[in-house]
Amino acid sequence: MKKDGKRRLGLVLLVGSYLLAVYWVFTRSAPVVSSRPVTIRIAHWQIEKGPPDGVDAIIKRYEELNPRVKVEQVLVPGRVYNQWMRTNLVGGTGADLIQYGVWLDGLSDIPARYFEPITDEMLKPNPYNKGTALEHVPWVQTFTDGLLNQRVNAPDPGQFYAATLTEVAVRLFCNRELLRTITGSDRTPQTYAELRVVFQQVADYAARTGKPVFTLAGARDNASWLMQFLMQGAMMKSSQRNDRHGTLSLYAYDELGLYLEGRWSYRSPEAKAGLTLMREVSTSMKPGFLQSMRDAATQEFLRGDAVFIFAGTWDGTSIRSAATFPLDVLRFPQLTKADPVMGPYFFGKFADGGGGTTMEFYLNKQSAHPKEAVDFMRFMSSVQGNQLFTDHSGWLPSVREVKVPADIAAYLTPLDCYSFGGEYMMGMGSTTAAAVFRNLYLLTDPRGSVDQFVDAMEAEMPAAVRTDLRKEVTNRAIIVRPQDVRIMALAALSRRGQADGSLTLARERQESSQTQSEALMLQMSRQLDLAGPVK
Amino acid sequence: MKLDGSRGAPTREHEFAQAVVAVDYQPVTQDRLHEAEATFAGLARGNDEIADASAYMQARLFQVHFQQPDYQRAAQHYRALADRHPESHWAQLGLVKLGLLLLYALPEPSDPAGRMAAATALLGRIHEEKLQRDLHLQIAHAGTFYEQPLELVLAHLKEVNRIGGLVGQVPEDLAIELGELSLRAGRYAESRAYFEAYLRDFTPNLRSVTVRRRLEDLAELETKAKGGQP
Repeated sequence: MKKDGKRRLGLVLLVGSYLLAVYWVFTRSAPVVSSRPVTIRIAHWQIEKGPPDGVDAIIKRYEELNPRVKVEQVLVPGRVYNQWMRTNLVGGTGADLIQYGVWLDGLSDIPARYFEPITDEMLKPNPYNKGTALEHVPWVQTFTDGLLNQRVNAPDPGQFYAATLTEVAVRLFCNRELLRTITGSDRTPQTYAELRVVFQQVADYAARTGKPVFTLAGARDNASWLMQFLMQGAMMKSSQRNDRHGTLSLYAYDELGLYLEGRWSYRSPEAKAGLTLMREVSTSMKPGFLQSMRDAATQEFLRGDAVFIFAGTWDGTSIRSAATFPLDVLRFPQLTKADPVMGPYFFGKFADGGGGTTMEFYLNKQSAHPKEAVDFMRFMSSVQGNQLFTDHSGWLPSVREVKVPADIAAYLTPLDCYSFGGEYMMGMGSTTAAAVFRNLYLLTDPRGSVDQFVDAMEAEMPAAVRTDLRKEVTNRAIIVRPQDVRIMALAALSRRGQADGSLTLARERQESSQTQSEALMLQMSRQLDLAGPVK
Repeated sequence: MKLDGSRGAPTREHEFAQAVVAVDYQPVTQDRLHEAEATFAGLARGNDEIADASAYMQARLFQVHFQQPDYQRAAQHYRALADRHPESHWAQLGLVKLGLLLLYALPEPSDPAGRMAAATALLGRIHEEKLQRDLHLQIAHAGTFYEQPLELVLAHLKEVNRIGGLVGQVPEDLAIELGELSLRAGRYAESRAYFEAYLRDFTPNLRSVTVRRRLEDLAELETKAKGGQP
């Protein structure tokens, strides 16, 4: 009897488990083989709080609209992104859509080698904007900046390569409670002169109380963004003076070439003024900050050990969601003509945003599904897709007509500030950037000085600039050579009777952009020849 | 490597296509490029479009494909092609490329003004308008690079603007260059018209702020030019 009962119980358990498994398989689990014949992958490094949710929201809606296509989001930490991208592209296993930034160290050849231009698509309206105010607007013109950054940084000046998801700016995030505790007021500094007063008040407070509090949360990343902002602003008059082409802007290769021609250096009074400001702000950060990355600065700020953090709006969602104190978001207090350091070189308010949209995605040349990948790009940068991104990420949109939620309106930069493009620190090229980072401690260390940094940089720059300018030439050669084959192929198709206007137009565009790239190559080579080897 | 679908005795077009593909077939080797050059040289002796395209490709190999560029030989090939079949598209395109070499790479003429003049002389032989535009643009940019008289540069930029049809970043740069260089040349009314057209035609960005500032500078200069009368 006892034995029968056990048997029955075992049988019931077995049948029950089987039924549960059947229920689970048919109702909860994903199919072993996707019912969608096409899978595309989109890869990026924006693993901060916000963007992955934004991209997920886009994917969810896109898959509803396109039952044939499955989209996978690949999140890759920034620390390994460069290696990940290089190895996957070389191995032919790269994602279909890949985030890339022109500033990524040692990757300047990537766009030319591995990304496909999307010029023709960019010049046509985005079909996903049907029924909106942008229905008949060419895709490129639907972005708030007309894809300025991507045009400027395109490996080939006559082509479009990327679609963007967001607009970014740099802002000062303020711990209002701590500011009040230290200064006795909620009032945030409105000018750099007022910020200098806060620097002193915080230093006095720390000395008086023994608490390790600093004005600015410090890390290599945050410091370099701030320093770049200050240096770019300090050098505006120099940039204007050196703008011989009359474009009111300098490209990175212009800065390199102009350096070789002796038209600027870190010894110039403008540069030294910028470096003096950089040294000043670095003394308001904790000692040794160059050794830590931005996460450390964020934690320092969130712990209440710093009154402000200078950060990109890309860190905004993380900071806002984790802060346990009232937070203010303000624009960095600007310098004025009356400033004792910067006054003589002051051109106008330094640009702290408004420079263009970013989080740019490129089409991998090796994509097995380029049509679907471009289609997804169109959706993510349509009014609907970009609104989903903004609402779920807390990041600004990149597309016109998308509504900006009130809580991130402070990230928008009105067009009231100046930039001549040239930034003179980390953005000229990977070799020069490495030299800056290698020597930055000479500027920020209490025993360092502006002159020590300048001497070290001027010793390294002649070779570093030549290396970066040669890379610019090489990267353009990578673009120019295969264009000959494409031009001949387009001409052959026309010869074989497929002489529709689009083939001729495509050939003419290739020829034109190839000529532009070649001219730049030759111009840079001439600058290198005239400069000769490092003396 | 062999092109798919090429059956039977190779035609001139097959041979040409095979050589073109070899030019960028990875990994590119110098040996393969020399083989392609020999094929192009043979095909260039004909009297059809393939011959012209082959002569053009031969020049391209010397200009950008071989590890060691030989600008003199590239220039020789471009010149020979333009002399033989001046109206061929490949000869016309070759003249644009020859212009670039004259502007920056060939040893003679050695002075900037001479380089500009030599490249400008080619314009009379180019009859395809879009190719004219591309060479005008590069002569203008060489002019600012060598700091040649602004009037000379502006004349070329105005031609680029008249022909139009450029894409990418260039149209926006061109609009600003016309405004800024006109201002520097003292052509205030033209400068104002170009800057205002820029503000009207392009998506606002940070350069719009600088352009508005330049319009203020321009107003001051205009007042000064009128002897201080507003």
